[in-house]
Amino acid sequence: MNRAWEGPLTEQEARDLHRRLLLDDPTAPTDLVEVYLDRLTDWLVAQNPRIDPAVCSTAAEDALLAVIKNPASYNPERQRLEVYLRMSAQGDLRNLLRAEQRHSRRRAEWEAVELSPVVGKYIWDEGGDPALIIERREDEPDEPSVAPLPDSVRAGLTPQEQRVLELMERRERKTAVFAEVLGLTHLPPDEQRQMVKRVKDRLIKRRERAGGRHD
Amino acid sequence: MTRRIAAFARRVEADPFFLASALSDYAHSEELDEQGLALALGCSLDTLSQLRLCRRPHPDPASFRADIDRIAARFAVRATVLAEAVRRADALAGLRHTATDGRGLLMAARDRGAEEPPSPTGEGEA
Repeated sequence: MNRAWEGPLTEQEARDLHRRLLLDDPTAPTDLVEVYLDRLTDWLVAQNPRIDPAVCSTAAEDALLAVIKNPASYNPERQRLEVYLRMSAQGDLRNLLRAEQRHSRRRAEWEAVELSPVVGKYIWDEGGDPALIIERREDEPDEPSVAPLPDSVRAGLTPQEQRVLELMERRERKTAVFAEVLGLTHLPPDEQRQMVKRVKDRLIKRRERAGGRHD
Repeated sequence: MTRRIAAFARRVEADPFFLASALSDYAHSEELDEQGLALALGCSLDTLSQLRLCRRPHPDPASFRADIDRIAARFAVRATVLAEAVRRADALAGLRHTATDGRGLLMAARDRGAEEPPSPTGEGEA
């Protein structure tokens, strides 16, 4: 197969390329990369506009490496090669972001030890976790997750609770933002997280009693 | 050849699965830069990136020959230089393995001399 790769492969060409990988053709990895690396990276970047394109690029490379080294992992009877590569690359992207998350968390913990007075700035923000952003985007419907509360219920909330509710309605997820509103920034990160969760749970219960949906 | 493909080809230089690793070892041993390596193989820099992404030829003689021929024919590079590059890299990898395998060759010789001094009577030589 010496064709110059300029566009997507036909299904038969993709099957032939996969077969060459299975047969250990030493030039097959080059062809696979030439056909799919740019397409896969561009697709990942478009699907994940908030993620660093360099990380998307690495994830696309990882997905190709996996098929090159273990071509039997792909079954052409189940799906097209490009679809398989996209799923694999999306999974690799999630893994890369989780690894980065663990690294960031460890770094924050070290900074918390060394710089305890300002640790609030470095509290790990679960809502900002890119891996979670991807999962949420895949799982969530487009409609807002928090229905507005009836005015009668809203009127019974403290100003702080009202502000928290507004943030929830805007789908804010950063613990640090809620902690600021609730005046909890002097507390250790774990306590902040617990207190914020308590307030949010209370508001969710009120909303349920008032007939609003939540997910 | 896109920038991403060239970057990926460089990334796999550390991976012995790919021909990139062998070409890198060969270039270092010959003190060749990228241009020099491409010149030795008789190809362009773009083709060099394509070569790097090939699977490294199998070491057993029959497969080795077939793999080299296939790669050389596909990318129109000098088969003899390609074969020499891979063989050299295999040899260097073998030496590295020996050197990092607990004790290097020289260390092994020195240890044996220290632990087992020759018998004054000339008996017990290994």
